Amino acid sequence: MKFNLFHLMPYPYLPEEYDDFPVSALIWPNKHFDPKLGHELYHRYLDELELGDQLGFDGIAVNEHHQTLYGLMPSPNLMVAALARRTTQAKIMVLGNQIALRKYPIRIAEEIAMLDHLTDGRLVSGFVRGIGWEYFNQNISPSQSRARFNEAHDLIIKAWTSEEVFEWVSEHFEFRYVNIWPRPLQEPHPQVYVPGTGSKETMAFCARHRYPYSAVFAPTKAVKRWFDTYREACEEEGYKADPESIGFTVPIYVADTDAEAHEKAKAHVEWLFHKGLKLEMPSILNPPGYVSPASLEGLLRAGVKAFQEVSYEELVDLGYVLVGSPETLVDKIEDLRGEMGFGSLSALMSIGDMSHEETVRSMRLFAEQVMPKFREPAAVSGGVAG
Amino acid sequence: MDEERTGAGQNGAARTEVSVGLGTAEILRAGEGPPLLFLHAAGAGGMWSPCHAKLAERFDVVAPSHPGFGGSPLIDGVDDVEDLVYHYLELLDLLGLERVTIVGESFGGWIAAELAAHSPHRVEKLVLMGAPGLRIPGETPFDVFLATPEQLVGHLFHDLSIPARIFPSEPGIEEIVAAYTEQSAFARYAFTPFLNDPKLERRLSRIKSPSLVIWAEHDKLIPRAHGERYAERIPGAELQIVADSGHALTAEQPEATAAAILDFAAAA
Repeated sequence: MKFNLFHLMPYPYLPEEYDDFPVSALIWPNKHFDPKLGHELYHRYLDELELGDQLGFDGIAVNEHHQTLYGLMPSPNLMVAALARRTTQAKIMVLGNQIALRKYPIRIAEEIAMLDHLTDGRLVSGFVRGIGWEYFNQNISPSQSRARFNEAHDLIIKAWTSEEVFEWVSEHFEFRYVNIWPRPLQEPHPQVYVPGTGSKETMAFCARHRYPYSAVFAPTKAVKRWFDTYREACEEEGYKADPESIGFTVPIYVADTDAEAHEKAKAHVEWLFHKGLKLEMPSILNPPGYVSPASLEGLLRAGVKAFQEVSYEELVDLGYVLVGSPETLVDKIEDLRGEMGFGSLSALMSIGDMSHEETVRSMRLFAEQVMPKFREPAAVSGGVAG
Repeated sequence: MDEERTGAGQNGAARTEVSVGLGTAEILRAGEGPPLLFLHAAGAGGMWSPCHAKLAERFDVVAPSHPGFGGSPLIDGVDDVEDLVYHYLELLDLLGLERVTIVGESFGGWIAAELAAHSPHRVEKLVLMGAPGLRIPGETPFDVFLATPEQLVGHLFHDLSIPARIFPSEPGIEEIVAAYTEQSAFARYAFTPFLNDPKLERRLSRIKSPSLVIWAEHDKLIPRAHGERYAERIPGAELQIVADSGHALTAEQPEATAAAILDFAAAA
């Protein structure tokens, strides 16, 4: 199994008045960003990702979000550039660039090609649509999201793989001379990765292009259903999904004992889900046109609760987070792998307002006492069963 | 034909569907007299209000639902307000209406202004009510796409006891999905540029018809500066304020609004 260390780079310093504010994104004023504290955070978080490389994580992952306190990476590609020459082993994963929101998607093709050289071909290039509110801050109509994503994707792939100057004309993009310098290092191009939140269109897209599919925070029951649908979509395309192409993303906290782990994790997990991911305006997640009316109806009928309404105990029970001793974590991951069939696990280990010291301690326990159990499949199944 | 819609309450507007362009359009129609094209507000598709009924006492009121609203499905290639102008010109041709009085409320008012600037010879008289469409820095309309349903209702009405009567306090999934469907159509036309066409203002001088701009006294959605600017740029236009109303004029003050329209539109 492959293990990735995923970072959101949250800004954890919140005044009391935040408790009465409905959302962590788009309109929480940036006067609440203290540049001195923010400056320290960037270096701390990059240190943690570099440590992930040293501890043997297969990948270290960053993503793109704008105007939010839960993620300080409007440009994930800058983070990759900072990590490229200070890491040696791990894949560096951008999960991903918001290609649907770019007015000039060729810039993504160019930057990823450059970064592929800087990382010596360790780059994984994720593509995402961007979350609802990001259509407000970038002033792109959400109703164009799916079409822009598909067109930008096709354009970027062609820009990476074409060896001749070409003209691009699609509904939303027109470029008369496409001819990127440099071309990427990896042939034919860096691995493309598409994180999703259960939309069938995205799963079909991944299956069609033989891209891995990875799920973001949700109850394990829902994620299992998504993975099943992805596997079915792959079969419809005439192939069987490789388990490593199925990625489970989950916040993980490890301490010496279960009791200690829960005692320490609770406040940070609550911060992440109740404060960091506080998105209590419907249009922040699903602005008009962002999903089809049928998809919205599906979401409403599924009755998925807002993060704020899910207690710590439920977050643990429903599998939104994995918390416990190394032994417990090995068991949990083995069970979930059996149930859900993923072969790639992305662990968010700097959870919410967790300190650097706590994060590092949990990371070390995970890398030294949990990950090795999954390195040799035969030994693990024996060990777990016995 | 859909019975519920055919009846359209006690007012008895007939509902028809016509093929237009690559799709179909629902039209509510009642009354006798000169033709009056009523272009509805976002969220009011397929509705025949007491204001419509009042106008139908003097006019042949033709009230189509915009593509994606009421009983009119979205139409491929009709993506922005300019496309809607061509859509309505085609509809007028199909109905054999060479020259009409146009009344447009809110989003419908924007379409009406664009249509009148595009084809001034097709317009007998023009009434714009609480219309967005102009780009006025510093006077940006309330963000109808970001707002929660509660915020939106709070900005549409002056007297909040009215929405409390009209809307269910706990909307069901069907109502939420129906509202989202219409908001999605609205966003397709007006998300960006946000409720405006930067070229419209300088085209308004082309309008030849007598024109009236009606604004609610307490419009919290579209700042009155937009009404003032329309009245200033459309040759000969006047601005009239309807008292004790929020943005949703035909819902909040149907009689006063209908009277203001008729005083102007039915005058010789």
